[in-house]
Amino acid sequence: MRNWILPEYISDVLPREARQIESMRRGMLDLFACYGYELVLPPLVEYVESLFLHDDPALDLKTFKLVDELTGRQMGLRADITPQVARIDAHILNRQGTTRLCYSGSVVNTRPDGILSTREPRQIGAEIYGCADIAADVEIIELMFESLALAGLKQVRLDIGHIGLFHALADAAGLKDDARDQTFSALQQKDIPTLRAVTAHLAPELAAGLQALPGLYGNSNDVLARAGSLLPAVPGVTEALTALQQLAGALAVRGIGVRFDLAEVRSSDYHTGLVFAAYAQGFANAVARGGRYDRVGEKFGRSRPATGFSLDLRELSRLPFPTAQSAILAPAGDDRALIDAVRALRKSGETVVIDLGVQPAEAHVDRVLRLEQGNWVVRPLV
Amino acid sequence: MITIALSKGRIFEETLPLLAAAGIVPSEAPESSRKLIIGTNRDDVRLIIVRATDVPTYVQYGAADLGVAGKDVLLEHGGAGVYQPLDLEIAKCSLMVAVQQGFDYLGAVQQGARLRVATKYTDCAREHFAGKGVHIDLIKLYGSMELAPLVGLADCIVDLVSTGGTLKANNLVAVEHVRDISSRLIVNQAALKLKHDQLQPIIDTFAATVAARHHS
Repeated sequence: MRNWILPEYISDVLPREARQIESMRRGMLDLFACYGYELVLPPLVEYVESLFLHDDPALDLKTFKLVDELTGRQMGLRADITPQVARIDAHILNRQGTTRLCYSGSVVNTRPDGILSTREPRQIGAEIYGCADIAADVEIIELMFESLALAGLKQVRLDIGHIGLFHALADAAGLKDDARDQTFSALQQKDIPTLRAVTAHLAPELAAGLQALPGLYGNSNDVLARAGSLLPAVPGVTEALTALQQLAGALAVRGIGVRFDLAEVRSSDYHTGLVFAAYAQGFANAVARGGRYDRVGEKFGRSRPATGFSLDLRELSRLPFPTAQSAILAPAGDDRALIDAVRALRKSGETVVIDLGVQPAEAHVDRVLRLEQGNWVVRPLV
Repeated sequence: MITIALSKGRIFEETLPLLAAAGIVPSEAPESSRKLIIGTNRDDVRLIIVRATDVPTYVQYGAADLGVAGKDVLLEHGGAGVYQPLDLEIAKCSLMVAVQQGFDYLGAVQQGARLRVATKYTDCAREHFAGKGVHIDLIKLYGSMELAPLVGLADCIVDLVSTGGTLKANNLVAVEHVRDISSRLIVNQAALKLKHDQLQPIIDTFAATVAARHHS
């Protein structure tokens, strides 16, 4: 019998990691609250139709499904919380103006993102609805940086891109279905040979524009200048470049440097405009990502501009975190003075463990509570 | 530290001149050494020697920053998590469908037909035959594919052909070209962002060397 074995890529979170995850979660939710974000707790399961913002084959494939025995309809375990929060904004809260929402919870994936990933990430994130202005994106990125700093990541590299560039060029070229998908995935992999092959038959300026995207990469404003001259001025391109310029400018004022990656189309399928990802030394994938997903909510009856970010707390739990939790060992007993002393210490924020006669393994005991001349006093452990 | 994943044999041999152009010379030859990590003349560059099919995996998870992998391997791997910016135009060959001499392939692939296909490249084979509207049953093999039609295990094989010598020796003929294969430079996505200043010069040198060969 090996009935204690968990499925692959599913694991328990043990005390050290749990303490770290919970400490980060509380810290981040408190941080979001300072910015005026309201916490929402969407359900773990709901009908599959509302789990996706639109046709999203990648997310569909990642979603565990089951049949609701009450209705016979298909339900899914959420693989991403963002669409749920968008549903809440669009149809449940139904507010006018700007709404700031945040969330934290487990999501489940049918397959892991990679061999180093879990199938049950602990997603935490923040979203702004109802504001199409760059200021909203700036706030979200600032919040993302503060969240990562809170987890202990101070050296973070930010990449920004704009999915609108690809869509503008692809629309102008009339790329549809398979041809559009192939071009998209070639860009995603910066696969220049394939990109050349699939765009060869397009109008020369559009082909040249699409082929130029992977090379438009780097941290200087020169990237945008080159983009301005290399990309054809079809509708959408100038707007996207202006948005990138404004975003980089506003972030520079806040001391956040950016690197442009105009072929960056790797975020979720629902992103429509500015996208960003944070990278840090020691992590093979982005540690946090997000972007704009305007027109989200269309499916739920109300189109709203939206921007937000999310990250996986379990991924960040690989960062160093103090292992020892200092505690006071107190004797067991029914002495009223002892009971009061223990209560007072706990109230003051100390961890007090009662000596049950067996060495406590769960906490790092470095002090003891002792009776000296009729008083209970804390003394260092010798 | 920059780590480059390579496989022994043809890819290693044909990557050496590219590395040399970038000022990187391995301190040992993998054929004579049993070491899996090989140093170079540059303190900040090392090579790791892995199986060809494992190269994308090492790069995807950041165990290596750069790698050289055949397009065949990348197609089967799916290419998730890696950039593949450059066709190195080395280790060239073709992915082909081959049958036993005398087998009526054109007759067997009529629309709606069903074929038994032995291959290591299951994704490519599935895609290729789906495009032709032919149903197939796949048999995944890891080597000596040529044997499969001879012993009645499969109707045809999908395999890499460079000179055609092995096919000929086993009385097989290539009947259909699936796609051209050559090796790609692949790059870990996070590494390209975090080690951009170290990696980009190497990528640029490789690109310039390949382009120069193209012109000469």
